[in-house]
Amino acid sequence: MSEKETINQKIERLNKEIEWFYGDDFDLGKAAENYKESIELVKEIEKDLNGLKNEIEILSEDFS
Amino acid sequence: MQPELKLSVSEFVDTLNQNLEYSYSGVTVVGEVASFKVNQGKWVFFDLKDDESVLNCFLPVFQLRVPLEDGMKVAVSGIPKLTKWGKFSFTVQNILPVGEGSIKKSFELLKAKLEKEGLFDPLKKRPLPERLENIGVISSPQAAGYADFVKILNERWGGLKIKVAKTQVQGTIAADQIIKALKYFNERNEVQVIAIIRGGGSADDLAVFNDESLVRAISASKIPVVTGIGHEIDVSLSDLAADVVGSTPSNVAQLLSKDKTAEILHLKEKVLTLKTNLIEKINRQIDENGSQIISVADRTIERIVLELTHLEEKAKVLNALNPESVLKQGYAILSGNLSPGNVVQITTFDKIIETEVKNVRKRDY
Repeated sequence: MSEKETINQKIERLNKEIEWFYGDDFDLGKAAENYKESIELVKEIEKDLNGLKNEIEILSEDFS
Repeated sequence: MQPELKLSVSEFVDTLNQNLEYSYSGVTVVGEVASFKVNQGKWVFFDLKDDESVLNCFLPVFQLRVPLEDGMKVAVSGIPKLTKWGKFSFTVQNILPVGEGSIKKSFELLKAKLEKEGLFDPLKKRPLPERLENIGVISSPQAAGYADFVKILNERWGGLKIKVAKTQVQGTIAADQIIKALKYFNERNEVQVIAIIRGGGSADDLAVFNDESLVRAISASKIPVVTGIGHEIDVSLSDLAADVVGSTPSNVAQLLSKDKTAEILHLKEKVLTLKTNLIEKINRQIDENGSQIISVADRTIERIVLELTHLEEKAKVLNALNPESVLKQGYAILSGNLSPGNVVQITTFDKIIETEVKNVRKRDY
């Protein structure tokens, strides 16, 4: 997992992992591991959302 | 004693105009429009008057950004000038309608014109992008509306990159600044949406958002535009041209972000549902495996029964071929040397008879 992955990208990844459980590629043998990964990803997203700040840049350009 | 200043007429007019430009640059004059006309489709002339005086005003038609009619009250900024024909006039650089009546009139005229051109067509509206990460904002950071916007955004979501273009959000110069900021964001293409926001104010304060050039610039923006101007009841032409309209700057912040608490809860519920789903799948697998075992056992038993049946039939055939079965039917077996004078043995079902051969001859069939 890239360190630069944004929150939205992590949510996208989580949704894809969840979709796997309902898709044709579902494999009971891999389910336990994938389920554990999903739990960890939710925790990570929660941590990011509660900790990450928005970056606000006031442009130096003069629009007058 | 000062030397007498002698100038030609042209020199005097030039000097006077330099003084006027220096002394009255940026002046704004408020009055009522009268004798409004457009010459040759290029030049606009009108009088600006009050109860006692009249000021002749002039501007090129492309600079007329609000529709005017006689009787409207307007604020014009520009430069006073003496023409070479000796006429005093005011070269207009900006006009804004003043007072609710004039603002409403100007609004209705321009709205009809731009609506006819299709600028407000609902089919042109673009939705906000799904996963917003980069937002452009055009506003005055000193304004209350901006502070509300930032506060709500920070409460609701994190990790967003917001670039703020500082502009005026009221007054005659605001429209051009906002247009320049729109152009800036469109040229760089670094943001996914542009939010134009300002808090509540009077009709005069918000009049800039009915400027024709600004409305056209919003409509032409390649990047979707969301506006949050004034209060909920205020609707400007900029709002009509925008892709998405928020009722206030705070509402725009809500439109641009999800509620992180609700989102986290939603994601957790999705993962918890997985657990239930997994248990169901496992139980189904067990049922399917159990059914398969029973099915195999059933088929095996069937085969055994079939084999037993075959064996029974074979036993019947063998039984039929058994010599004892033949004897039971009354037949006898003759054994020994069949030459005359020899003793042979005759075996029946229940006797063995020994007898002498008298004569042997062939049978005729």
